[in-house]
Amino acid sequence: MDAAIEIVNPGWLSLVVDAGRPGFAHMGVPRSSALDALAFAALNRLLENTPGTAALEVFGTEFALRFSGDVTAAVTGARTAAFLDGAQVEPWATFDAKAGSTLRVAQVLEGFRYYVGFSGTMELPPVMGSRSTNLECTFGGLAGRPLVRGDRIALAGCRRVARRSVPASHIPAMGAPHVLHLLDGPEKELFTADSFDKFCNIEKNLWYSVSTKSNRTGIRLQGEPLSFARTEKGGIVSEGLLPGTVQVPPDGAPIIVLFEKTMGGYARAGVVASADLDRLAHLRPKDRVMFDCVSPGEALELSDARGSYVSSLYKNIGG
Amino acid sequence: MEILPYGENGLRLVFGSEITLETHALVRRAYLYLSAAGLPGVTDIIPSFTTCLLVFDGSRTSFEKLAGAVRERRGEMAASAWGEARTHEIPVTYGGEFGPDMDTVCAYSGLTEEEVVECHTSAVYTVFAVGFLPGFPYLGPLDKKLFVPRLDAPRVKVPEGSVAIAQLQTGIYTFDSPGGWRIIGRTRIRPFDPEKPPYSLFAMGDQVRFVSA
Repeated sequence: MDAAIEIVNPGWLSLVVDAGRPGFAHMGVPRSSALDALAFAALNRLLENTPGTAALEVFGTEFALRFSGDVTAAVTGARTAAFLDGAQVEPWATFDAKAGSTLRVAQVLEGFRYYVGFSGTMELPPVMGSRSTNLECTFGGLAGRPLVRGDRIALAGCRRVARRSVPASHIPAMGAPHVLHLLDGPEKELFTADSFDKFCNIEKNLWYSVSTKSNRTGIRLQGEPLSFARTEKGGIVSEGLLPGTVQVPPDGAPIIVLFEKTMGGYARAGVVASADLDRLAHLRPKDRVMFDCVSPGEALELSDARGSYVSSLYKNIGG
Repeated sequence: MEILPYGENGLRLVFGSEITLETHALVRRAYLYLSAAGLPGVTDIIPSFTTCLLVFDGSRTSFEKLAGAVRERRGEMAASAWGEARTHEIPVTYGGEFGPDMDTVCAYSGLTEEEVVECHTSAVYTVFAVGFLPGFPYLGPLDKKLFVPRLDAPRVKVPEGSVAIAQLQTGIYTFDSPGGWRIIGRTRIRPFDPEKPPYSLFAMGDQVRFVSA
Protein backbone atom coordinates (compact mmCIF):
# COMPACT_ATOMS: atom_id res chain seq x y z
CA MET A 1 0.00 0.00 0.00
CA ASP A 2 1.61 3.25 -1.12
CA ALA A 3 1.19 6.16 1.19
CA ALA A 4 2.86 9.39 2.21
CA ILE A 5 2.55 12.28 4.59
CA GLU A 6 2.85 15.93 3.72
CA ILE A 7 3.64 18.56 6.31
CA VAL A 8 1.01 21.29 6.28
CA ASN A 9 2.36 23.07 9.36
CA PRO A 10 5.48 21.94 11.30
CA GLY A 11 4.40 23.51 14.61
CA TRP A 12 7.37 25.14 16.35
CA LEU A 13 9.73 22.31 15.54
CA SER A 14 9.25 18.88 14.05
CA LEU A 15 11.96 16.33 13.43
CA VAL A 16 12.35 12.74 12.33
CA VAL A 17 13.62 10.65 15.26
CA ASP A 18 14.19 7.03 16.15
CA ALA A 19 16.22 5.10 18.72
CA GLY A 20 19.32 6.98 17.57
CA ARG A 21 22.97 6.09 17.10
CA PRO A 22 24.37 4.17 20.05
CA GLY A 23 27.87 2.81 19.61
CA PHE A 24 29.47 5.83 17.95
CA ALA A 25 30.19 8.00 20.99
CA HIS A 26 33.93 7.28 20.76
CA MET A 27 33.97 9.29 17.52
CA GLY A 28 31.93 12.11 19.01
CA VAL A 29 28.63 11.07 17.45
CA PRO A 30 25.74 11.54 19.90
CA ARG A 31 22.64 9.35 20.08
CA SER A 32 20.16 12.00 18.86
CA SER A 33 17.39 9.59 19.87
CA ALA A 34 13.74 10.39 20.67
CA LEU A 35 13.87 12.32 23.94
CA ASP A 36 10.90 10.53 25.52
CA ALA A 37 11.94 6.92 25.03
CA LEU A 38 8.76 5.49 26.58
CA ALA A 39 6.40 7.57 24.43
CA PHE A 40 8.42 6.58 21.38
CA ALA A 41 8.44 2.85 22.24
CA ALA A 42 4.73 2.87 23.11
CA LEU A 43 3.97 4.54 19.79
CA ASN A 44 5.56 1.68 17.87
CA ARG A 45 3.81 -0.90 20.03
CA LEU A 46 0.45 0.72 19.38
CA LEU A 47 1.16 0.63 15.65
CA GLU A 48 2.59 -2.92 15.67
CA ASN A 49 5.81 -1.54 14.18
CA THR A 50 9.27 -2.98 14.57
CA PRO A 51 10.74 -1.36 17.73
CA GLY A 52 12.71 1.74 16.79
CA THR A 53 10.67 2.60 13.67
CA ALA A 54 11.18 6.32 12.98
CA ALA A 55 8.49 8.82 13.98
CA LEU A 56 8.08 12.59 14.17
CA GLU A 57 9.00 14.45 17.35
CA VAL A 58 7.11 17.72 17.54
CA PHE A 59 6.56 20.58 19.92
CA GLY A 60 4.21 23.51 19.68
CA THR A 61 0.64 23.76 18.47
CA GLU A 62 -0.84 24.04 15.01
CA PHE A 63 1.20 21.09 13.75
CA ALA A 64 -0.68 19.62 10.80
CA LEU A 65 -0.04 16.96 8.20
CA ARG A 66 -2.01 15.53 5.29
CA PHE A 67 -2.17 11.82 4.53
CA SER A 68 -2.04 10.50 1.03
CA GLY A 69 -2.93 6.84 1.10
CA ASP A 70 -4.65 4.94 3.90
CA VAL A 71 -2.54 4.78 7.03
CA THR A 72 -3.00 3.93 10.68
CA ALA A 73 -1.36 6.55 12.88
CA ALA A 74 -1.07 7.55 16.55
CA VAL A 75 0.10 10.44 18.70
CA THR A 76 1.88 9.77 22.01
CA GLY A 77 4.03 11.84 24.35
CA ALA A 78 2.56 15.18 25.40
CA ARG A 79 -1.22 15.00 25.83
CA THR A 80 -2.73 16.84 22.90
CA ALA A 81 -6.10 17.93 21.59
CA ALA A 82 -5.72 16.63 18.04
CA PHE A 83 -8.22 16.33 15.22
CA LEU A 84 -8.48 14.26 12.09
CA ASP A 85 -10.61 16.34 9.74
CA GLY A 86 -12.48 17.79 12.71
CA ALA A 87 -13.02 14.54 14.60
CA GLN A 88 -11.10 14.38 17.88
CA VAL A 89 -8.24 11.91 18.02
CA GLU A 90 -7.67 10.19 21.33
CA PRO A 91 -4.15 10.60 22.78
CA TRP A 92 -1.96 7.48 22.91
CA ALA A 93 -4.33 5.57 20.61
CA THR A 94 -4.29 4.40 17.02
CA PHE A 95 -6.62 5.92 14.44
CA ASP A 96 -7.24 5.21 10.76
CA ALA A 97 -6.50 8.03 8.37
CA LYS A 98 -7.90 7.97 4.85
CA ALA A 99 -6.13 9.41 1.85
CA GLY A 100 -6.63 13.18 1.80
CA SER A 101 -7.41 13.54 5.50
CA THR A 102 -5.57 16.07 7.67
CA LEU A 103 -4.29 15.59 11.23
CA ARG A 104 -4.08 18.83 13.19
CA VAL A 105 -2.84 19.38 16.74
CA ALA A 106 -4.84 22.25 18.16
CA GLN A 107 -3.56 22.26 21.71
CA VAL A 108 -0.96 20.71 23.96
CA LEU A 109 -2.69 19.95 27.23
CA GLU A 110 0.13 18.41 29.27
CA GLY A 111 3.83 17.96 28.55
CA PHE A 112 5.89 19.39 25.73
CA ARG A 113 7.05 17.02 22.99
CA TYR A 114 4.68 14.67 21.22
CA TYR A 115 5.36 11.83 18.82
CA VAL A 116 3.43 11.16 15.64
CA GLY A 117 3.88 7.69 14.20
CA PHE A 118 2.56 5.70 11.25
CA SER A 119 1.97 2.05 10.41
CA GLY A 120 4.81 2.09 7.89
CA THR A 121 8.43 3.04 7.45
CA MET A 122 9.44 6.53 6.37
CA GLU A 123 11.38 6.26 3.15
CA LEU A 124 14.42 8.19 4.31
CA PRO A 125 17.95 6.84 4.10
CA PRO A 126 19.38 5.78 7.47
CA VAL A 127 22.62 7.59 8.29
CA MET A 128 24.99 5.67 10.54
CA GLY A 129 22.22 3.17 11.15
CA SER A 130 19.57 5.68 12.19
CA ARG A 131 16.96 8.03 10.76
CA SER A 132 17.24 10.42 13.74
CA THR A 133 18.02 14.01 12.87
CA ASN A 134 21.30 15.41 14.12
CA LEU A 135 20.27 19.07 13.95
CA GLU A 136 23.62 20.50 14.99
CA CYS A 137 25.53 18.67 12.26
CA THR A 138 22.63 18.52 9.79
CA PHE A 139 22.58 14.82 8.99
CA GLY A 140 19.96 12.08 9.35
CA GLY A 141 16.20 12.65 9.26
CA LEU A 142 15.06 14.61 6.24
CA ALA A 143 18.22 16.30 4.90
CA GLY A 144 19.37 16.82 8.48
CA ARG A 145 16.92 19.63 9.11
CA PRO A 146 13.61 20.35 10.82
CA LEU A 147 10.53 19.65 8.71
CA VAL A 148 8.94 22.55 6.85
CA ARG A 149 5.61 23.10 5.15
CA GLY A 150 5.38 21.11 1.96
CA ASP A 151 7.80 18.35 2.98
CA ARG A 152 6.54 15.01 1.75
CA ILE A 153 7.73 11.72 3.19
CA ALA A 154 6.75 8.44 1.55
CA LEU A 155 5.75 5.58 3.83
CA ALA A 156 6.68 2.04 2.86
CA GLY A 157 4.83 -1.09 3.91
CA CYS A 158 1.76 0.66 5.31
CA ARG A 159 -1.01 -1.54 6.65
CA ARG A 160 -4.17 -1.14 8.68
CA VAL A 161 -3.63 -1.87 12.34
CA ALA A 162 -6.23 -2.83 14.93
CA ARG A 163 -7.55 -0.15 17.23
CA ARG A 164 -5.42 0.02 20.36
CA SER A 165 -4.96 2.55 23.11
CA VAL A 166 -3.26 3.25 26.38
CA PRO A 167 -5.94 3.93 29.02
CA ALA A 168 -5.91 7.54 30.20
CA SER A 169 -5.00 6.37 33.70
CA HIS A 170 -1.77 4.88 32.31
CA ILE A 171 -0.54 7.88 30.35
CA PRO A 172 2.50 9.18 32.26
CA ALA A 173 2.36 12.49 34.12
CA MET A 174 4.31 15.12 32.19
CA GLY A 175 3.15 18.44 33.58
CA ALA A 176 5.04 21.03 35.64
CA PRO A 177 6.20 21.43 38.30
CA HIS A 178 8.87 18.79 37.71
CA VAL A 179 10.64 17.13 40.61
CA LEU A 180 13.71 15.35 39.26
CA HIS A 181 15.51 12.74 41.34
CA LEU A 182 19.22 13.32 41.23
CA LEU A 183 22.27 11.18 41.91
CA ASP A 184 25.54 12.80 42.96
CA GLY A 185 27.69 13.72 39.98
CA PRO A 186 31.41 12.99 39.63
CA GLU A 187 32.35 16.60 40.54
CA LYS A 188 29.97 17.13 43.44
CA GLU A 189 32.98 18.00 45.60
CA LEU A 190 33.79 21.07 43.50
CA PHE A 191 30.78 22.86 44.99
CA THR A 192 30.43 24.29 48.48
CA ALA A 193 28.51 21.88 50.70
CA ASP A 194 25.88 24.55 51.46
CA SER A 195 25.31 25.39 47.86
CA PHE A 196 25.08 21.75 46.79
CA ASP A 197 22.68 20.91 49.60
CA LYS A 198 20.40 23.80 48.70
CA PHE A 199 20.51 22.77 45.05
CA CYS A 200 19.13 19.28 45.56
CA ASN A 201 17.56 19.04 49.01
CA ILE A 202 13.80 19.31 48.51
CA GLU A 203 13.36 20.58 52.04
CA LYS A 204 15.16 23.77 50.97
CA ASN A 205 12.37 24.31 48.44
CA LEU A 206 14.65 25.78 45.78
CA TRP A 207 12.99 26.02 42.37
CA TYR A 208 14.60 26.58 39.03
CA SER A 209 12.90 27.80 35.92
CA VAL A 210 13.52 26.37 32.44
CA SER A 211 15.22 28.98 30.28
CA THR A 212 13.90 29.86 26.82
CA LYS A 213 17.47 29.20 25.59
CA SER A 214 16.97 25.46 26.12
CA ASN A 215 17.08 23.16 23.11
CA ARG A 216 17.57 19.52 22.19
CA THR A 217 21.21 19.69 23.29
CA GLY A 218 20.58 20.94 26.79
CA ILE A 219 18.00 22.32 29.20
CA ARG A 220 19.28 25.54 30.74
CA LEU A 221 17.95 26.41 34.16
CA GLN A 222 17.56 29.83 35.74
CA GLY A 223 17.58 30.35 39.47
CA GLU A 224 20.08 30.41 42.29
CA PRO A 225 23.52 29.62 40.83
CA LEU A 226 25.64 26.93 42.47
CA SER A 227 28.79 28.15 44.22
CA PHE A 228 32.16 26.62 43.49
CA ALA A 229 34.32 25.81 46.48
CA ARG A 230 37.46 27.10 44.84
CA THR A 231 38.17 30.09 42.66
CA GLU A 232 39.11 28.20 39.51
CA LYS A 233 35.37 27.66 38.97
CA GLY A 234 35.35 23.97 38.40
CA GLY A 235 36.37 23.57 34.78
CA ILE A 236 37.46 19.95 34.34
CA VAL A 237 39.45 18.14 31.69
CA SER A 238 36.81 17.25 29.08
CA GLU A 239 35.49 13.72 29.33
CA GLY A 240 32.57 11.45 28.43
CA LEU A 241 29.06 12.61 29.26
CA LEU A 242 25.86 10.72 30.05
CA PRO A 243 22.39 12.02 29.17
CA GLY A 244 20.69 13.55 32.19
CA THR A 245 23.94 14.93 33.60
CA VAL A 246 23.60 18.31 35.30
CA GLN A 247 26.59 20.34 34.14
CA VAL A 248 27.52 23.60 35.80
CA PRO A 249 29.51 26.18 33.80
CA PRO A 250 31.50 28.91 35.58
CA ASP A 251 28.43 31.15 35.94
CA GLY A 252 26.87 28.51 38.22
CA ALA A 253 23.64 28.09 36.22
CA PRO A 254 22.88 24.37 35.77
CA ILE A 255 22.38 22.78 32.35
CA ILE A 256 20.79 19.33 31.95
CA VAL A 257 22.55 17.48 29.12
CA LEU A 258 20.28 15.64 26.68
CA PHE A 259 21.20 13.31 23.80
CA GLU A 260 23.36 15.52 21.57
CA LYS A 261 26.75 15.67 23.31
CA THR A 262 29.31 12.96 24.04
CA MET A 263 31.94 14.99 25.92
CA GLY A 264 31.98 18.03 28.16
CA GLY A 265 34.31 20.12 30.28
CA TYR A 266 31.98 21.59 32.87
CA ALA A 267 31.70 20.31 36.42
CA ARG A 268 29.04 17.62 36.73
CA ALA A 269 27.01 18.25 39.87
CA GLY A 270 24.54 15.42 39.42
CA VAL A 271 22.84 12.93 37.16
CA VAL A 272 19.06 12.74 36.77
CA ALA A 273 17.79 9.29 37.84
CA SER A 274 17.05 7.03 34.87
CA ALA A 275 13.42 6.75 36.01
CA ASP A 276 13.02 10.50 35.33
CA LEU A 277 14.90 10.74 32.00
CA ASP A 278 11.76 10.62 29.81
CA ARG A 279 10.35 13.49 31.82
CA LEU A 280 13.16 15.71 30.48
CA ALA A 281 11.43 15.72 27.07
CA HIS A 282 8.59 17.64 28.69
CA LEU A 283 10.41 20.51 30.39
CA ARG A 284 8.99 23.58 28.69
CA PRO A 285 10.49 27.04 28.85
CA LYS A 286 9.39 28.70 32.11
CA ASP A 287 8.38 25.38 33.77
CA ARG A 288 9.44 25.04 37.40
CA VAL A 289 11.99 22.35 38.26
CA MET A 290 13.28 21.05 41.56
CA PHE A 291 15.97 18.48 42.26
CA ASP A 292 15.61 15.81 44.93
CA CYS A 293 18.85 14.03 45.76
CA VAL A 294 18.72 10.24 46.00
CA SER A 295 21.18 7.49 46.85
CA PRO A 296 22.10 4.83 44.28
CA GLY A 297 19.83 2.42 46.20
CA GLU A 298 16.90 4.80 45.98
CA ALA A 299 17.57 5.35 42.27
CA LEU A 300 17.45 1.59 41.78
CA GLU A 301 14.08 1.40 43.57
CA LEU A 302 12.76 4.19 41.37
CA SER A 303 14.05 2.41 38.31
CA ASP A 304 12.40 -0.88 39.37
CA ALA A 305 9.12 0.93 39.99
CA ARG A 306 9.40 2.61 36.61
CA GLY A 307 10.08 -0.80 35.02
CA SER A 308 6.87 -2.25 36.54
CA TYR A 309 4.89 0.76 35.38
CA VAL A 310 6.26 0.45 31.84
CA SER A 311 5.44 -3.29 31.77
CA SER A 312 1.86 -2.68 32.86
CA LEU A 313 1.53 0.10 30.27
CA TYR A 314 2.74 -2.28 27.57
CA LYS A 315 0.38 -4.98 28.82
CA ASN A 316 -2.49 -2.52 28.39
CA ILE A 317 -1.49 -1.94 24.80
CA GLY A 318 -1.52 -5.69 24.19
CA GLY A 319 -0.66 -7.00 20.77
CA MET B 1 43.49 3.30 37.76
CA GLU B 2 40.38 4.15 39.71
CA ILE B 3 36.99 2.62 38.92
CA LEU B 4 34.15 4.99 39.75
CA PRO B 5 30.38 5.01 39.17
CA TYR B 6 28.78 7.80 37.16
CA GLY B 7 25.00 7.89 37.32
CA GLU B 8 23.20 4.56 36.89
CA ASN B 9 24.66 3.69 33.52
CA GLY B 10 28.24 4.86 33.61
CA LEU B 11 31.54 3.47 34.83
CA ARG B 12 34.56 5.75 34.74
CA LEU B 13 38.09 4.45 34.54
CA VAL B 14 40.23 7.31 35.80
CA PHE B 15 43.92 7.23 34.91
CA GLY B 16 45.05 10.67 36.07
CA SER B 17 44.01 14.28 36.31
CA GLU B 18 46.48 16.06 34.01
CA ILE B 19 46.72 16.01 30.22
CA THR B 20 49.95 14.11 29.58
CA LEU B 21 51.13 11.62 26.97
CA GLU B 22 51.72 9.07 29.76
CA THR B 23 48.10 9.24 30.94
CA HIS B 24 46.94 9.21 27.32
CA ALA B 25 48.86 5.97 26.74
CA LEU B 26 47.04 4.32 29.66
CA VAL B 27 43.64 5.52 28.47
CA ARG B 28 44.32 4.35 24.94
CA ARG B 29 45.45 0.92 25.99
CA ALA B 30 42.35 0.46 28.16
CA TYR B 31 40.11 1.75 25.39
CA LEU B 32 41.55 -0.55 22.72
CA TYR B 33 41.56 -3.52 25.04
CA LEU B 34 38.03 -3.02 26.33
CA SER B 35 36.60 -2.27 22.87
CA ALA B 36 37.98 -5.59 21.68
CA ALA B 37 36.85 -7.42 24.84
CA GLY B 38 33.16 -6.77 24.08
CA LEU B 39 31.99 -6.82 27.70
CA PRO B 40 28.28 -7.75 27.81
CA GLY B 41 25.91 -4.80 28.29
CA VAL B 42 28.45 -2.12 27.33
CA THR B 43 26.88 0.13 24.66
CA ASP B 44 29.56 2.81 24.26
CA ILE B 45 33.11 3.42 25.39
CA ILE B 46 34.18 7.05 25.37
CA PRO B 47 37.93 7.57 25.78
CA SER B 48 39.14 11.08 26.59
CA PHE B 49 42.21 12.82 28.02
CA THR B 50 42.34 11.18 31.42
CA THR B 51 39.42 8.77 31.59
CA CYS B 52 37.53 6.08 29.76
CA LEU B 53 33.75 6.13 30.22
CA LEU B 54 31.93 2.84 29.82
CA VAL B 55 28.23 3.39 29.13
CA PHE B 56 26.17 0.31 29.96
CA ASP B 57 22.64 -1.00 29.74
CA GLY B 58 21.47 -1.49 33.32
CA SER B 59 19.09 -4.29 32.30
CA ARG B 60 22.03 -6.37 31.07
CA THR B 61 24.77 -5.64 33.55
CA SER B 62 25.50 -3.54 36.63
CA PHE B 63 28.26 -1.29 37.87
CA GLU B 64 29.45 -4.02 40.27
CA LYS B 65 29.54 -6.71 37.58
CA LEU B 66 31.33 -4.46 35.14
CA ALA B 67 33.81 -3.19 37.72
CA GLY B 68 34.54 -6.83 38.62
CA ALA B 69 35.07 -7.74 34.99
CA VAL B 70 37.47 -4.82 34.49
CA ARG B 71 39.40 -5.64 37.67
CA GLU B 72 39.72 -9.27 36.62
CA ARG B 73 41.24 -8.22 33.31
CA ARG B 74 43.52 -5.59 34.78
CA GLY B 75 46.75 -7.52 34.29
CA GLU B 76 45.84 -8.63 30.81
CA MET B 77 44.86 -5.07 29.92
CA ALA B 78 48.15 -3.62 31.16
CA ALA B 79 50.08 -6.16 29.07
CA SER B 80 47.88 -5.83 25.99
CA ALA B 81 49.33 -5.10 22.55
CA TRP B 82 49.75 -1.52 21.55
CA GLY B 83 48.18 -0.75 18.19
CA GLU B 84 50.28 1.04 15.60
CA ALA B 85 49.31 4.71 15.51
CA ARG B 86 48.33 6.13 12.13
CA THR B 87 49.78 9.45 10.99
CA HIS B 88 47.76 12.01 9.05
CA GLU B 89 49.11 14.97 7.14
CA ILE B 90 46.65 17.85 7.02
CA PRO B 91 47.16 20.72 4.54
CA VAL B 92 46.18 24.09 5.99
CA THR B 93 45.81 27.54 4.48
CA TYR B 94 46.96 29.77 7.33
CA GLY B 95 45.92 33.35 8.09
CA GLY B 96 43.95 35.77 5.96
CA GLU B 97 40.21 35.22 5.65
CA PHE B 98 40.62 31.59 6.76
CA GLY B 99 42.46 32.51 9.96
CA PRO B 100 40.64 35.48 11.48
CA ASP B 101 42.45 35.11 14.82
CA MET B 102 45.98 34.95 13.39
CA ASP B 103 46.68 38.59 14.33
CA THR B 104 45.54 38.00 17.90
CA VAL B 105 47.72 34.91 18.16
CA CYS B 106 50.72 36.88 16.83
CA ALA B 107 50.08 39.67 19.34
CA TYR B 108 49.68 37.16 22.19
CA SER B 109 52.80 35.17 21.34
CA GLY B 110 54.97 38.01 20.08
CA LEU B 111 55.66 35.88 16.99
CA THR B 112 55.28 36.83 13.33
CA GLU B 113 52.68 34.99 11.25
CA GLU B 114 55.47 32.97 9.59
CA GLU B 115 56.78 31.97 13.01
CA VAL B 116 53.32 30.93 14.19
CA VAL B 117 52.89 28.77 11.08
CA GLU B 118 56.39 27.35 11.51
CA CYS B 119 55.65 26.51 15.13
CA HIS B 120 52.22 24.98 14.41
CA THR B 121 53.53 22.83 11.52
CA SER B 122 56.72 21.63 13.17
CA ALA B 123 55.12 19.41 15.81
CA VAL B 124 53.53 15.99 15.53
CA TYR B 125 50.31 16.05 17.54
CA THR B 126 48.50 13.23 19.25
CA VAL B 127 44.72 12.80 19.04
CA PHE B 128 43.89 12.80 22.75
CA ALA B 129 40.17 12.41 22.18
CA VAL B 130 37.48 12.69 19.51
CA GLY B 131 34.39 14.59 20.54
CA PHE B 132 32.78 17.99 21.01
CA LEU B 133 31.59 17.49 17.41
CA PRO B 134 31.53 14.20 15.48
CA GLY B 135 35.09 13.51 14.37
CA PHE B 136 36.56 16.63 16.05
CA PRO B 137 40.14 15.76 17.10
CA TYR B 138 41.44 17.24 20.33
CA LEU B 139 45.13 17.52 19.44
CA GLY B 140 48.11 18.22 21.63
CA PRO B 141 50.38 19.06 23.14
CA LEU B 142 50.69 22.49 21.54
CA ASP B 143 53.95 24.43 21.89
CA LYS B 144 53.69 26.74 24.92
CA LYS B 145 54.76 29.62 22.67
CA LEU B 146 51.34 29.42 21.01
CA PHE B 147 49.34 29.54 24.24
CA VAL B 148 46.20 31.66 23.85
CA PRO B 149 43.11 31.59 26.05
CA ARG B 150 39.71 30.70 24.60
CA LEU B 151 37.49 33.54 23.41
CA ASP B 152 35.43 35.03 26.25
CA ALA B 153 32.30 34.82 24.12
CA PRO B 154 32.31 31.90 21.68
CA ARG B 155 31.60 32.63 18.01
CA VAL B 156 28.11 31.67 16.91
CA LYS B 157 29.45 29.95 13.82
CA VAL B 158 32.92 28.60 13.16
CA PRO B 159 33.14 27.29 9.58
CA GLU B 160 33.76 23.59 8.91
CA GLY B 161 37.44 22.88 8.30
CA SER B 162 38.68 25.67 10.58
CA VAL B 163 41.98 24.87 12.29
CA ALA B 164 42.05 26.44 15.72
CA ILE B 165 44.08 26.63 18.91
CA ALA B 166 43.21 27.20 22.57
CA GLN B 167 45.44 26.92 25.60
CA LEU B 168 47.75 23.97 24.85
CA GLN B 169 45.47 22.29 22.34
CA THR B 170 44.71 22.48 18.67
CA GLY B 171 41.86 21.00 16.65
CA ILE B 172 39.83 20.96 13.45
CA TYR B 173 36.14 21.96 13.36
CA THR B 174 34.46 19.11 11.52
CA PHE B 175 31.12 20.92 11.11
CA ASP B 176 29.92 24.51 11.12
CA SER B 177 29.42 25.02 14.82
CA PRO B 178 29.59 27.53 17.66
CA GLY B 179 33.10 27.59 19.08
CA GLY B 180 35.47 29.48 21.34
CA TRP B 181 38.89 28.46 20.00
CA ARG B 182 41.15 30.87 18.05
CA ILE B 183 41.00 30.20 14.32
CA ILE B 184 44.35 30.35 12.53
CA GLY B 185 43.62 28.58 9.23
CA ARG B 186 41.44 26.22 7.27
CA THR B 187 41.81 22.81 5.69
CA ARG B 188 39.94 21.35 2.72
CA ILE B 189 40.15 17.89 4.26
CA ARG B 190 36.80 16.71 5.58
CA PRO B 191 37.66 14.66 8.66
CA PHE B 192 34.13 13.36 9.20
CA ASP B 193 31.61 12.00 6.71
CA PRO B 194 28.43 10.48 8.18
CA GLU B 195 27.63 8.90 4.80
CA LYS B 196 30.87 6.97 4.44
CA PRO B 197 32.28 4.32 6.80
CA PRO B 198 34.50 4.44 8.78
CA TYR B 199 33.03 7.97 9.13
CA SER B 200 35.82 9.55 11.18
CA LEU B 201 39.28 10.15 9.75
CA PHE B 202 40.72 10.44 13.24
CA ALA B 203 40.71 7.94 16.05
CA MET B 204 41.99 8.50 19.55
CA GLY B 205 45.76 7.88 19.55
CA ASP B 206 46.37 8.87 15.90
CA GLN B 207 49.23 11.25 15.05
CA VAL B 208 48.66 14.45 13.08
CA ARG B 209 51.01 16.80 11.30
CA PHE B 210 49.87 20.07 9.72
CA VAL B 211 51.50 21.34 6.54
CA SER B 212 51.15 24.82 5.12
CA ALA B 213 49.20 24.56 1.87
